[in-house]
Amino acid sequence: MADPQFLSTAELVKQGAEARLYRTRFLGKPTIVKERFPKRYRHPELDEKLTHRRTVQEVRSILRCRRAGISAPVVYFVDYTSHCIFLEEVLGSVTVRDFIASTQQSASCKEELQQLAQRIGQILAKMHDEDVVHGDLTTSNMLLRRGPEDTESDLILIDFGLSYISALPEDKGVDLYVLEKAFLSTHPNTELLFEKLLKSYSASSRKSSAVIKKLDEVRLRGRKRSMVG
Amino acid sequence: MHLTQGLELYPDTTVTQVLFKQVRNATELRQKAVEGKINGALINPTMVLSPFQVLVAANKAVHLQTAGKMKTRTLNSEIIFNLSPTNNISEAFKRFGISDGNDSVLVVLVHKRDKLPSLSDITAMVDGQQLPVDDVSSLSDIAKIKKLYKIPPQEEKCGSLLDAVVCRMAAKDVM
Repeated sequence: MADPQFLSTAELVKQGAEARLYRTRFLGKPTIVKERFPKRYRHPELDEKLTHRRTVQEVRSILRCRRAGISAPVVYFVDYTSHCIFLEEVLGSVTVRDFIASTQQSASCKEELQQLAQRIGQILAKMHDEDVVHGDLTTSNMLLRRGPEDTESDLILIDFGLSYISALPEDKGVDLYVLEKAFLSTHPNTELLFEKLLKSYSASSRKSSAVIKKLDEVRLRGRKRSMVG
Repeated sequence: MHLTQGLELYPDTTVTQVLFKQVRNATELRQKAVEGKINGALINPTMVLSPFQVLVAANKAVHLQTAGKMKTRTLNSEIIFNLSPTNNISEAFKRFGISDGNDSVLVVLVHKRDKLPSLSDITAMVDGQQLPVDDVSSLSDIAKIKKLYKIPPQEEKCGSLLDAVVCRMAAKDVM
């Protein structure tokens, strides 16, 4: 990093196994810095390679999504020496996770949740049609930003840290399977809602039938393919 | 009129932008820049949407210079190169640097925080009318920018044109 002091004065927002998130300002704009710190438990050369590849993949997938019209945070700057990505901070947003949790409680908003599930299905279909596999689909990795009065709120995908480019229905099926697991375990009694999401995915994606077929297979065997034989 | 902003990542470095329109000596200016007599980057403002776009390019140039990883020979040429969405250096100079026929110019100066460059030297050198830097948007050629950065219409649905441009500049090394 240019100035070793820089991140130490920034506000640490989150720390995961892979990276730390900081909130700061960059060229005057509110910014999130995602720093992939060195993992001491890995061989240094392997660590450098993996970290570099994941940083590159994240940037690539974000750009590919945005080009297709799928909202994702703007990339301001990438430092490939310290593996930091400088991203737009999405202001005034809630995670889909929090939104569903709070909306579920006020029982009157069933319609709103249905519409949201439909939107998520459409956007994931568009993403998979671009051959972007997110790799970590959860309701915490989707943000809702209220638009100006009376307009639909924006659905923004975040955290492309495990994403990659693939055209294989298998990879897309696993992507949906991971979401299904995460969705149903974070939000109790939402089986019907998730079904709605999948229906909307199938209706919007050009290549959905192969993906859904794979999803059914993956459900039976789990995320990892058996490598025996 | 001019705009001076510090770089958070390089606290002792500052970027100053000065904008001119109705410039009559573009050829002479370009010549001087090529000979290294102007210690600044001369940018074609029609390719610039906002001063932020230039700051992103300047920050990246300073970063690569510090890391010893510049793709071009000087910091000023690196700023111009960083504005371009492609890795073709001569193409970048042609599109984003000043050309002989230009009637406007954006001068970008990178300097130490406590050593503000003499702006009167710059204004004396440019035969034109100075504008507030934020007015650069009134000079930008939107259609050309969209074409050069290859921005599809659907991308503007998920953000501004500036967002799309900045993303391409930041990500061009891995595309």
